[in-house]
Formats: sequence, C-alpha cells, structure tokens
Amino acid sequence: MPDTSTGVVVIGGGSTGAGVLRDLALRGIDAILVEKGDLASGTTGRSHGLLHSGGRYCVNDEQAAIECVEEGRILRRIARSTVEDTGGYFVSVTEEDREWEPRFVEGCRRTGITCERISLDEARRREPALSRQVRTVFWVPEDGHLDPFYLVVGNVESARRRGARVLTHTEVTGFLRDGDRVTGVRIKDSKTNEEGSIACQSVINATGAWSGLVARLLGVEVKVVPVKGTMVVLSRRLAHAAINRCHKPGDGDIVVPGLSVSILGTTSAKVPHPETLPIEWDEVRRMIEEGAMMLDGVTTARAMRAYAGVRPLYDLGAEAEGREMSRNFAVIDHQVRDGITGFTSIVGGKVTTFRLMAERVVDVAAGHLGVRTPCTTAEVPLNDREEPLDQLRHRPSLLGVPKPHGDEPPLQPLLCECELVRPQDVAPWFRDPAVRDLEDVRRRTRSGMGPCQAAICSYRLAARLVSDRGLDGASATRAMADFLETRWRGVRHVFWGSQLRNMQVTTGLHMELYNLDRELMKSPLPRPSRNLPRPLAGESQGGGDSAEPAEVAGKR
Amino acid sequence: MKTDVAVIGTGLSALAAARTIQQSGRQVVLVWPGLSSLYFLFATVDVLGYPTADATEPVADPGGAVARLIEREPTHPYARAGIDAVRAGTQLMLEWFKQAGLAWEGGLDRNFLLPTATGTPKPCCLAPASMTNGDLSRPEPIVLCGFTGYQDFAPELAASNLKRQWSAAEVSAVRVTAPGYGPDRLFTSVDLARSFEDATFRDAVAAQLRERLSGDTVRVGVPGVLGLTTPNKTFAAFQRAVGHPIFEIPTVPPSVIALRLFDRLRKHLQESGIEIIWSAPAHAAQVTDGRCRNILLKAAGHELPIEAAAYVVALEDWVDGAFRAGVHTVRDPFFHRPLAWNKVPTDRTAESLFSTQPFEQVGYALTERLQPADENGKAIAQNVFCAGGAIAGYDPSGTKSRGGMAIATGYRAAREALAA
Repeated sequence: MPDTSTGVVVIGGGSTGAGVLRDLALRGIDAILVEKGDLASGTTGRSHGLLHSGGRYCVNDEQAAIECVEEGRILRRIARSTVEDTGGYFVSVTEEDREWEPRFVEGCRRTGITCERISLDEARRREPALSRQVRTVFWVPEDGHLDPFYLVVGNVESARRRGARVLTHTEVTGFLRDGDRVTGVRIKDSKTNEEGSIACQSVINATGAWSGLVARLLGVEVKVVPVKGTMVVLSRRLAHAAINRCHKPGDGDIVVPGLSVSILGTTSAKVPHPETLPIEWDEVRRMIEEGAMMLDGVTTARAMRAYAGVRPLYDLGAEAEGREMSRNFAVIDHQVRDGITGFTSIVGGKVTTFRLMAERVVDVAAGHLGVRTPCTTAEVPLNDREEPLDQLRHRPSLLGVPKPHGDEPPLQPLLCECELVRPQDVAPWFRDPAVRDLEDVRRRTRSGMGPCQAAICSYRLAARLVSDRGLDGASATRAMADFLETRWRGVRHVFWGSQLRNMQVTTGLHMELYNLDRELMKSPLPRPSRNLPRPLAGESQGGGDSAEPAEVAGKR
Repeated sequence: MKTDVAVIGTGLSALAAARTIQQSGRQVVLVWPGLSSLYFLFATVDVLGYPTADATEPVADPGGAVARLIEREPTHPYARAGIDAVRAGTQLMLEWFKQAGLAWEGGLDRNFLLPTATGTPKPCCLAPASMTNGDLSRPEPIVLCGFTGYQDFAPELAASNLKRQWSAAEVSAVRVTAPGYGPDRLFTSVDLARSFEDATFRDAVAAQLRERLSGDTVRVGVPGVLGLTTPNKTFAAFQRAVGHPIFEIPTVPPSVIALRLFDRLRKHLQESGIEIIWSAPAHAAQVTDGRCRNILLKAAGHELPIEAAAYVVALEDWVDGAFRAGVHTVRDPFFHRPLAWNKVPTDRTAESLFSTQPFEQVGYALTERLQPADENGKAIAQNVFCAGGAIAGYDPSGTKSRGGMAIATGYRAAREALAA
C-alpha cells in the first residue's frame, strides 16, 4: 500500500473513532481513520444498542448519568436516523428492587433524568408483555434504541464528505517517531499483509478496549480493563420500550427493542484480551431467565443468536471491578503524562457518550496543533440534512450516499427478505473501498441479520462480488462461506426450537443444493488475500497520496 | 377414522411408503404434519453422492456403493433397509414418476454429475430430465444463462467456479432479459416459471439467447424456472426454440423443481383415491400391550384419532416441525420419548456449518424391522415402522444420500407395515 500523509491519524473505527474523525473533519483538520477490522466491528457493533437515558447510572455513577442525559438529547437532534425513541421502563421485581426505588428516584432527580412512576394497570396497558412478577414501574421517556452500525457509518460518511479518509482492515503495527515526537504510524493491510505508513502530526488513540495494546506499541501504559458482555437476540420485539430492572446494574437486566428484534443483555466478566470473548451457555441461560423475570414471552420467543462484546473500562486506579467501575471516560494527554508529543488517548466511556468523548479528545489534540476552531458536532446533523427517521429499513440515502436508481418503483425486489434490504441498499457499499467482505456489507445494511441468518441472501451477495467487484468465483464462494460461518457461530448458542428448524434449511440448502461443503473441500481456497479488490475504475477514493508531510488543513 | 396403514409425514419417504402400500392394494391414509420438506431441500434424488462425509471423490455407481456401505456398516440405516429395498424402492419411484407424468431419468448404476447454482459439480442418482443435459460426463461446452434482476441464479459466479473444476470444455456466462422482469420488479422463481408457460414470453427469451450463442454443440444451463404446471411441454418448447440442449439448475426455496415434484405426486395420490389429511400434526400415540391402537391428530378445532393396523412414521426430522427441540431435550411427537439430550445447545452443532452436524443425526433408534426402539433395543410398538429423516444416526448432507435413504426406508417400512 502506498505511503501517505495527513494531519491526524485516528486509530479505531468504533463509535469513538468515528466521532473523532467527524469532529476533526468539521474543524477542518485533515484526518485518516485506521481500523484493523471493519467499522463498528469491535465494541460498538456488539453493544446492545440502548441509548441510555442515564437511569442505569444515576445512583452509582452520577457523572456518567449526566453525560448520558445531555448526549441523548443531542443525538436525538443531530442523528435522528440512528435513534428510535422507544422510551423505557424501569421495573421492580423483587423486594431488593423495591429498596432500590427511592435511590433511583432521587438519582434521576439529581441528574435531571425525566422519570415518572406509573400504575401497574397503566404499565400493562402500554406493555402487555410485562411479567406478572413486576411490582413497580417507572416511565423514563429518554431511553431509546441507538443503531450502533448506522451511528458509526453515519459519522464516517459525514467526515468523508469533508475529505477525511478511512482505511478499514488496516492495522497499526508501530509508530514513526522523531525522539519524543510521534510523526506517523506504520500500517499493515490485514487481508493482504501489505505494509505502509502514514506520516502525520498527531495520533489519536480511540481504540477502547484495545487502547492499552496500541499504547504499548509506543512504550506507554494505558490501563483499560476489557470486560466481556454476552447478549441474546430474539427474533421479534417483545415490548415497545426498553425494559430495565430497577436495581443496582447487574446481569441480564435490560431488554432493548432494536429495529425488528429484542436484545437481552448483558453479562459482565473480565477477560484477558479484548478478542477473547467465549460465550458460555450459563450466560445465555441467565440472560433468558433474567429477561423472563421482566417480560413474558422471553422464554418462548425465537432466539436467533448470541454474541459477546467487550467494554473498555478505564482503570482510574480505584479498587472497583467490572460494573463497579465508572462508565466515565478520560482523555490522556501523553505529552503531559509521558512526555510524548503528538499522541492522545481517549479511554473508558460508552456508545451513548461517544460524541462528547470525541469532542474532549479533539479539543486536546487540536490544541496542540494550534487549531482553535470550536467543536460543532452537537449542531451539524449527521447526514447534513434534517430528515425524519425511516424506521423501516436502512437506506444509504439517509447517510447522504446517492441512490443509484433514482426514483423508487412501488413494489421493489428484496435482497434480504428477513430484514427488507433491497438490492439498491447494498449496491453503493460494493463501490466503497472500505467494504472488504460480506460482514462489512451486513453491518451497513442489516442483510443476513434476520431469522434465516444469511441462508438466502449470502448467495445473492456473493453473486454481487462477482458482478459488481469482478471477483473470481472461488474468492466469492469463500466470502459467502465465511459469511455463513460467522452467522453460524452466533446461532450455535441458541440451537433449539424454530431456529434449529430453520438451520436444517440452511445446511440442506448449502450442502445438498449447492454442494458447498465439497466446493470448500475440493478446492481448499486460500483465505482470500485480496478478498475484495479495490473498486472498478471510475470511482474516486478521495484524498491525495502525496508523500510530503501534509499541513493541517484549514487552521482557521 | 380407520384404515389399514397410516403414513405420517410429508417428504419423499412418506410418499414412497404411501405408494408402496397403495400398490399392494391395501388402504392407506396419509397424514401431513406441516409443509413438505420437499419444498426446501429436494431437487434431485441423491442415493449416495460420496462414500463418506469427508470423501472428495464422488461415487460413480450408487447402487454398488450402497451395497459396499451396508457391508462396512451393518447398523447404518441403509443396512436396516437392505439393498433390496434400495433397488425395489428406486424402481417403484421411477415407475410412479413416469405414471404421474414426471419425466425423470437415472438409475442405481450411475450418478449424474450436475452443476449447482454455485457452479459446483454435484453427484445425484435420479434427476428430472430437464436437468440431465447438464451432466458433466458429457463433453459439450456450457453456457450458463441468467436473467437480469433475478438474484437466485448468478451465471457469472457459477461459470467461474465450474470452469475451475471442470476442464472438459468451455464454460461461459450470459444474462438475458425476461420480458416484464428486471431489477426494479419484485419477483420469484415461481413468477418466472409461470411466465415460461406462455409461448410469447418463452420465444422472446429464446430469441435473445440464440443471438448470444455460438458454436453448434453448446448446451445451455438456466435456473430451474421452465414451467410450473406443464414442465415437460414448456421445457421441450423452450429447448426447440433455442435450438440447443437446455438444462435446468435448481435454485433456493421456493424451488420450482421441488414444487413440481411434490405437487404432481400429491395430486396423483389423490387422483388414485388416497385420503390425505392436511396440516394435522400428530401429537400422541396410544400404545397398549406393545401395539399402537391409534394416533391423535390435531385437526381443525378438534382432535382426530386415526386407527390403523400399522403405522409408518416418515417424518423429516426438523424441517416439517415434527420433532420438538427444547433447550436440552428433543422429543418425538408420538411416544414423547426423549430422542436426544444435550447439556448445552452448542453440542447439537459442529463448529463449522459445513461439517457433519450432530442435530442431523437425532432420531429414532430402530429394530431390525425398522420399528422405533426403546433404550434396550426393543420395539416401542410392534406395529409402528420408521422411515426417512426421523431415523437416528446418519448424515444425509455430507454423503448426499437424503433422497435414496428416504425412498429405501419408506419402501421397507411400508413392506413391514403390510406384513404386520
């Protein structure tokens, strides 16, 4: 890969990194985001998607709660297409929960969270699925669903429109230094193993649970504690609103309605490495049992898959572990702390407060670069337009990606019937160089995320790798198999009932109709070194490739 | 309701069993628990595609290979059914297909090697005549033809894979426009199949295709959409209009090729006077003194007992919804016995989707006479016999043997039921 240069390199393509990239772009600072996997493939895309009102933190973590309140309101303004205003309930089930209630009510009052106690009758009228065990109900209108994939892609697209660049599947392997000054990063394409470098004036480490590992490349310490959380996806919405247990945050005490599904979450367990995230049966069982205490139908609903994510808790030196640790965040100015110029880390925090985190870290980094432009991410809409939320499905047009087909005909073909994804919803992503495999397409479009878990759409997507990208059949077939295997890994944990039944269709289709097992066996296809080549000619990729160190653009 | 033999199931094994009993002159009632698995899984009848689940070389002579398999594994369901049932069952089905007006080809002496929609060659024993021009033992070059906007057959993908694995002749891909269809219209294989029954439509497609073909010997592979209710006529007319050998390639559900087979056989059974009870899941069997006295169906609004001298349980394990998989235990719908128990659900699966799956092997243990057996190997009921996917302990996906196994066990279970 060619060497290049920019003003700021942002490491990490989660919500924080994407927010940082957008913040920099809005301040007119030239930047490149480098992500070793895909956008939203780490913590963000594996969150449960609750836009926190702050209620969960208002007793034990007041600062985090206040930030959630403010950021929730900002996101509803600037990122309408990523938020669904479901509202939420905090429900008491046990005697212990009842004892928590006064503290919860007081916490909400202190942190400014709108919270109203409603009668059980009223609650059951609004949410018929509430369990008979529920004894007290608080309505918290500012809980919501935040689509993590859309949020990240929306931030990145907003930045790209302003000239920022994105390198996905690109790992930072080291730093370029001039004494105590960071002058760039060494990078490696994780699919092709090609190496290169980016010269820059400043690097922002926005890698969350991976921050310690990135900082170590520079010989400095950042103490993050990776804490695993496991979630279970049910195939439909059991409640209209987010349902939280009214108690000290614990396992399995949230049910989030996200688009067409409900997500049960979550557990909390320290892990040695942010990529060591085994899903234990005990966790899956506990999610379902705990969820069933709040909502009827949790045990009988169709579980589609389970997944695990990792929280990036920042060790502030306290004794606390896991949930006891603050969900607050911190900016580490390594110039001040370690005497290294041009390197800043942003650690801790949560998806709901990503924008504020980005603002704070860019304030510090831009300050060192002498840029005084104020942050405008709280005012400028994510898609640069004010458009109402399209609840039905994801459309690239909402992110400002032009529609390839112009006006929409009335009855349109679907590529993924489960999630109502149309061919024109996926088409633009096949032209995006940041999209390198079918999982990347899934994150941007939801294709393959429904009950059949890509049994049908995987073939159609693979076909597009050949027709739209010019891939050979072997690589496209391998991409299709990889996509199915990734889905399979999540389905295996909930292998009963209707989902098991559906999976016989999947194995029957791919092994008996397509004979795909023999395709993979007979020609052991190498892991595609170039799974998705760069788009065909005529597509601009933005950004210059000049080897000269770039001036930070627009020092206004 | 009373009958000589009740057959419970929707798949190929149930059809084979019902036909066997009907041919013997005895009365049979067919009970369908749900939608047929034929809709989902079948396009061809695979008797034995590969000797083992991890063999890479396809079986050349499925009849001989099954005989060798029986010698090697005396407890294999094929061994339980016996080689005679394999031969007699296959013969019975081929004759039935012919009588029902379905043009099918093949026999136990050889496997076809047909390209799939991914372009991978796949061995199969019996296939619709509309597919067999694709046999890769023939030397003619192949053109794969898709339709603009049709997502379930990608000629470019299939041609690229086929080219890599088959070097006998040229392979290429074309796309033509199906009049009235395109990327802006929602349509399925079934829509296309209905349109192909219209001569004007068919000729318009054929005319485009002719223009794109060069060379006298070339044959053309198209998705399996050449007619729904009049496939033989539609296929012949299209082939004539194109002027080259044509072959169909089956696609994802709803698979037209499977629909034709299922609907025709079902109607043929009904035309010959067999009673079919629709969408009535059986939920209990009453067994006294080692014999099944009746089975109870959940029919519309009431419970319907079926009393028979003998029963053939020909379920397709999961797809038709007969078996119930709880979080830990799988139960059968008749005797409510635990067929499998797993400490964790993950144990039902292999790590890779493309391996032999433990859940596929769940089913009834059998006696030598194909009776569902208890833990001591004794028949649960003397007059109940088992066929098809409900039999424990084999992997139809890896060895490509689902259809052959269904037919052989269906035939054998029916013979046992007649003798009971």
